[in-house]
Amino acid sequence: MSMQSSISHYSDQIKQAVVDKQLLQIAGNQSKVPLYEDAQLLSIADHTGIVSYDPAELVVTVKAGTKLSDLSAALAENNQMLGFEPPEYGDSTIGGTYACALTGPSRPFRGGLRDFVLGTQLIDGQGREMRFGGKMLKNVAGYDVSRMLCGSKGSLALVTELSLKVLPLLEEQTYSIPMPEGEAILLMNKMQGTSLPLTGCAYFEGKFYYRVAGEHPTQDNRVEVTACSNDVWKTLNPFQPKLAEGEKLWRLDVESTNPAIENTIAVGMGGTRRWVASKNKPNHPYVTLWQSRFAPRNNDKPCVQRIKAGLKDVFDPHHIFKDL
Amino acid sequence: MDVIQALEEALNKNCILSSEEACRPYECDGLSAYRQKPLAVALPEDVEQVKQVLRICKAHNTPVITRGSGTGLAGGTLPLENSVILGLSKLNKILQIDPLQRTAIVQPGVRNIQVSDAAAKYGLYYAPDPSSQVACSIGGNVAENSGGVHCLKYGLTVHNVTSLTVLDMDGEIIRFDEKDDGIDLLALLNGSEGLLGVIVEIKLKLIPKPEAAQLVMAAFNSVKACADAVTSVLKQGIVPAGLEMMDKFSIQAAEDFAKVGYPVEAAALLLCEVDGSHDQVKVDAQRVADILTQNGAYEIRVSQNEKERIELWQGRKNAFPAVGRYSPDYYCMDGTIPRSKLAYVLDEIDKLSEKYGLKVANVFHAGDGNLHPLILYDANKPGELEETEKFGQEILKLCVDVGGTITGEHGVGVEKLDSMCHQYPQAELEIFHGIKNVFDSSGLLNPGKAIPTLHRCAELGHMHVHNNQLPHPELERF
Ligand SMILES: Cc1cc2nc3c(=O)[nH]c(=O)nc-3n(C[C@H](O)[C@H](O)[C@@H](O)COP(=O)(O)OP(=O)(O)OC[C@H]3O[C@@H](n4cnc5c(N)ncnc54)[C@H](O)[C@@H]3O)c2cc1C
Ligand SMILES: Cc1cc2nc3c(=O)[nH]c(=O)nc-3n(C[C@H](O)[C@H](O)[C@H](O)COP(=O)(O)OP(=O)(O)OC[C@H]3O[C@@H](n4cnc5c(N)ncnc54)[C@H](O)[C@@H]3O)c2cc1C
Repeated sequence: MSMQSSISHYSDQIKQAVVDKQLLQIAGNQSKVPLYEDAQLLSIADHTGIVSYDPAELVVTVKAGTKLSDLSAALAENNQMLGFEPPEYGDSTIGGTYACALTGPSRPFRGGLRDFVLGTQLIDGQGREMRFGGKMLKNVAGYDVSRMLCGSKGSLALVTELSLKVLPLLEEQTYSIPMPEGEAILLMNKMQGTSLPLTGCAYFEGKFYYRVAGEHPTQDNRVEVTACSNDVWKTLNPFQPKLAEGEKLWRLDVESTNPAIENTIAVGMGGTRRWVASKNKPNHPYVTLWQSRFAPRNNDKPCVQRIKAGLKDVFDPHHIFKDL
Repeated sequence: MDVIQALEEALNKNCILSSEEACRPYECDGLSAYRQKPLAVALPEDVEQVKQVLRICKAHNTPVITRGSGTGLAGGTLPLENSVILGLSKLNKILQIDPLQRTAIVQPGVRNIQVSDAAAKYGLYYAPDPSSQVACSIGGNVAENSGGVHCLKYGLTVHNVTSLTVLDMDGEIIRFDEKDDGIDLLALLNGSEGLLGVIVEIKLKLIPKPEAAQLVMAAFNSVKACADAVTSVLKQGIVPAGLEMMDKFSIQAAEDFAKVGYPVEAAALLLCEVDGSHDQVKVDAQRVADILTQNGAYEIRVSQNEKERIELWQGRKNAFPAVGRYSPDYYCMDGTIPRSKLAYVLDEIDKLSEKYGLKVANVFHAGDGNLHPLILYDANKPGELEETEKFGQEILKLCVDVGGTITGEHGVGVEKLDSMCHQYPQAELEIFHGIKNVFDSSGLLNPGKAIPTLHRCAELGHMHVHNNQLPHPELERF
């Protein structure tokens, strides 16, 4: 199917759903979303491929159904990468990753997924094709819809194409130092205030881990420093630890200097992310239940809820897209 | 009681200006070609007073135009005759700097440079550095999503703001934080040009000052060679901290003004700064110099110390006023294009310059394709301003046509409303109006700016209107 005809195919499906009053569940490769009984599947998994890529522009434009692994491989051929280091859950799509705003350990240093989004092509809940943003690193014409939709989880529009800023592939080296959690949190904050070219800081299983990119001074400033494999970052992202019976995995977003939190099994993203294994929900303002199925967090204040509900009406006035 | 009386009663009398002379400085922003005296200017001293101003204006159905330092170049703070200017210059405190967490919490009226100055003693700074940074406010930076020379590597304002406290037109407080779940409202507020809310508190990211920086200056015999050299640098994996390009006219003007030793006979000049750790900078500066030489640079200078680095920047940093000396007035355009189209676009601008009989100097951020053609004109010559504006619009159209955009960093304001019709079709514009309506259903926050009405685009002929019936008649049209 040509690209144009496949796009209009999605748009027709949406328009038909409006007529039929049929709820649609947007999905990529469904690595997470189940098909809900009340909804019909609107899969964009077949809409794959790179639309345009000029390495010197530091920008790639890709169809939303493209697998992360395929995209990363294409970039790597040109010594480039996705700067936000997304987690790979099997065959996750770039669209699903964007819809879930998924980001990796480099976030405090290079930015999260939203920081790399330049433009989107999408189809709204009336089946209208549109484009926001562009392929430029700098663009302030109109509201920043393409960044706003990061994290929209298929509730506002079907994203068909994305333009992303890319970065040169870096050579990175990880080091570890054994120490208690509280000390590690303090040290990682201090280190982030120095000019060491860090791209990762975490605490896991009794060790403080940090990753450095490119040319850097030798790390022999402490006796216990050991150079180690970069694999620990893959273990932490996606973080899928073995849990004891009855325990749940919670993701907490906190200030980087937040002291150690009870039942923490890993500290990531320079101290701003804490993974807690416990039966009960930790008492913190920003907590997500992390399980194999979605668990929306919904801790929005009423005024923010009102804004989000308003935006839902703007993008999807007939409420055709399943809102999780 | 009218709105001015109500404001005077609620705030200290000296916080409300309404006389002709007192209002004069508020008649325009950096785009001084457009002027309008507002009904009054309110200069609240704290957030509570901002709230009161909003509530009073809401009750009197009076439009409110928020103003930071008024350095905007797109007419974003241009008053309406019946509007109140809400000036936030008195909300100018840095509330907290947390060196360990590397964040700053500031009021909107704090000037950009003050943040870096305050953070300097911890070896930290605030990365986005618009050229207006000594004057412009952080609130204005957020509303414009401003960027500077360091954007390519360190991002725009949106990348460096982690939380915002905003007042809506009812005076209700809303907080947006990077830790919020779901859609990214924080991103939406950046670049919203005062149309979605009044920003009253901002949390910023601070980053460590790089250990070292070196500037490589290179001269080229052709614009194309220079543009290709830029491409090579980026392709080979170096992300410079700054990458600026100047054309012949700008080089001469800058050298005349700042006397830094630029090669005035060059067709194009490139300034490429690399920063980071000492080791990395040494390696990168050499690599950049090599790549540029291989790509046809006929003269290369690498700064050997801080003094030299700063001196070499002086020409570029003073390029606008330098060019300004050649003409009574100049109009600074702002558009972005894919870097690969640089040589083509500059050629086309040359042709337009001949067509309109107006000189143009080109200074731009080559790293991110952001052009700033300066059109020289004389406002005292009848019709020349209008011709200049037409010329400017043609440049923007050219940017869109090669796959770029009508503004990289100045925003839309009242300027470029027509060009928005060229860049965005009707459905997108409807979405923009829908977003505005969600945040500000009264339509009193900075009305008529940033997003053109569907009506306006229809009149420009970019929209098909059937039976004289506009879509979405429920949406307000100005
Ligand atoms: C709240 C939340 C909780 C999560 N919890 C876990 C967890 O506990 N464990 C875990 O391993 N991973 C979790 N994830 C990760 C995430 O589900 C996947 O890893 C992600 O990469 C999806 O890729 P996919 O292509 O398979 O998308 P899918 O699973 O098919 O879809 C994921 C979401 O994205 C939307 N979407 C997909 N494509 C598009 C598109 N083109 N346009 C618009 N919307 C689209 C879908 O509607 C859906 O809401 C979670 C994500 C979220 C948001
Ligand atoms: C010499 C010169 C060089 C410049 N260089 C650059 C540059 O390199 N990069 C760049 O991006 N820009 C540049 N600019 C443009 C301008 O300085 C920036 O856009 C700046 O961010 C505007 O800040 P301000 O405080 O002056 O805002 P104003 O001009 O006062 O306002 C700008 C807009 O923001 C809104 N606004 C202001 N404060 C708030 C608030 N607290 N809440 C909500 N809305 C608000 C206003 O309503 C208006 O729409 C330059 C300007 C000049 C004069």
